[in-house]
Amino acid sequence: MAAAHPPPALVPLQMGAAPAISAALTDATVRVSSDFRGDKIVLYGAVFDPQARPSDVVVIVRGPDQPVRIARKSKIAGLWINSRPVVFQGAPGFYIAASTRPLDDIARFATLRKLEAGVDHLAIHAPDEQRVETRYGIRDMVVSRLGADYFDWRSAVIRLKERAGLYDTSDHGVRFVDKGLFRAEIALPAEAPIGRYDVRILLFQNGQPVSEKDRSLTVEQVGLERALYLWAHQRPWSYGLAAMAFALAAGWGASSAFRRD
Amino acid sequence: MDIYLPIAEVSVNAPLLVALGALVGFISGLFGIGGGFLMTPVLVFLGIPPAVAVASMSNHVAASSMSSVISYSRRRSVDFRMGGVLAGGGVVGAVVGVEIFRWLRLIGQADLVVALAYLIFLGIIGGLMLWESLGAILRRRRNAPAPPRKDRRPPWLYGLPLKLRFPRSRLYISVIPPILLGAFVGVLSAIMGVGGGFILVPAMVYILRMPASVVVGTSLFQIIITTALTGVLQAGRNQTVDIVLAVLLLVGGVLGAQFGARASTRFRAEELRALLAFIVLMVGLRMGLGLFFTPHEPFVLMSGIGG
Repeated sequence: MAAAHPPPALVPLQMGAAPAISAALTDATVRVSSDFRGDKIVLYGAVFDPQARPSDVVVIVRGPDQPVRIARKSKIAGLWINSRPVVFQGAPGFYIAASTRPLDDIARFATLRKLEAGVDHLAIHAPDEQRVETRYGIRDMVVSRLGADYFDWRSAVIRLKERAGLYDTSDHGVRFVDKGLFRAEIALPAEAPIGRYDVRILLFQNGQPVSEKDRSLTVEQVGLERALYLWAHQRPWSYGLAAMAFALAAGWGASSAFRRD
Repeated sequence: MDIYLPIAEVSVNAPLLVALGALVGFISGLFGIGGGFLMTPVLVFLGIPPAVAVASMSNHVAASSMSSVISYSRRRSVDFRMGGVLAGGGVVGAVVGVEIFRWLRLIGQADLVVALAYLIFLGIIGGLMLWESLGAILRRRRNAPAPPRKDRRPPWLYGLPLKLRFPRSRLYISVIPPILLGAFVGVLSAIMGVGGGFILVPAMVYILRMPASVVVGTSLFQIIITTALTGVLQAGRNQTVDIVLAVLLLVGGVLGAQFGARASTRFRAEELRALLAFIVLMVGLRMGLGLFFTPHEPFVLMSGIGG
């Protein structure tokens, strides 16, 4: 679906001193039909900077937020048993940060953290595990019941999501194809959640974000898939009854068809 | 050829699933079991979320059981009254089981309970059945006489109140043991994503002492009722029934079941039982032994909240 369309026509250069970035997705809708096996999101953009300072481009694609439940296995009486699950809020269902260079070379930790740029800087937290208390004489400190292990838990969320192909970092996923013109290609796996995705395109100069553009992308089911999905979620009982009636009828039908007499 | 499943939200290989359905259907028709205990682990292994696999299995099991029960009822080997009593317990068990499963998922112990249930029930039943059928095969090889059948019926089965006549099973027993048995199997069917035939069949033979000729048909009849209810409940409560997945599986399943039911006449009963016992034992060990090995990854993501 995402064949290489010609790059969108460039807007005439603004001759201001401030650098600016512009970008467009070649296709703002990803249609999920029965033959969906993942897709490629292609984005073209341009950097307008009359002074031609060295520029870096970061493209962040973020899917709809989905709380994450995670448990840790520990050995109890010889068996590996799950702990009580911990719920992390603020985790996107899909996240990829593509850039012209590794993010750590582009900007400093604090800057990346503020922009939530890169899987290590996502603002995910486990509010149910937090409580506010007075510690070391300091009032209203937020402490997590997970204690020092908190970072193990948090990095496990990222690691497991990366393994499922839902989180990724693409250090050279954005490439300049011509002077000021860049192209980014982002792989969307078949497991990517349905919904509205935010695409942020950031221009960095001297380690600072100097310009930003936001685009949105819709991943939606179409045709029969959409009809079934809506039916199953909006009228679950009639869907369940119909599905079961169909199954029983199919069993009956096969039995009659095979009857030999 | 890959196909996208709208509820599971994953893409799977369609011919592979049809073939899997056919294979499990064949085994189901051959042994007179639902085959859920085989299918559910394989689906999870293929990357389908466990909640969707367990729920969609109900539709597949109901379809293939329906396909075989009709042939059994034509041969008059279904005790509908006994099946109805078992199903009465099964309905209660299924409702309770769906709620237990929700609660287990909430506290994060669903995996543990499912794995333990597979290990314990499949391990015990597979082990006993393998022992018994290998013994029968060896005796036949040596032309030894069958051991005298202990036909002494347990007194507690007959001392209980609420007796009912089951003419086709030639039984006059209390309805309490079949109802309890049905309820137990109903709970297991909701938790393990199985029909429960592998427990029901031996229990009907060894506890209720039903004649072997009606056991399989009656078990299938009760499985249809219980799984039909479980399937509708799972769809209504949890929205986890994927009809595309169920259709792919049951296309193969109903056909496979027909061939299986026919093939079953060509084998000796004890050889079939030994084979089934072996399969049951392997699945139980495969599912359960994971609990004892140190995992590569100590953390595990739990699918969806509540659903």
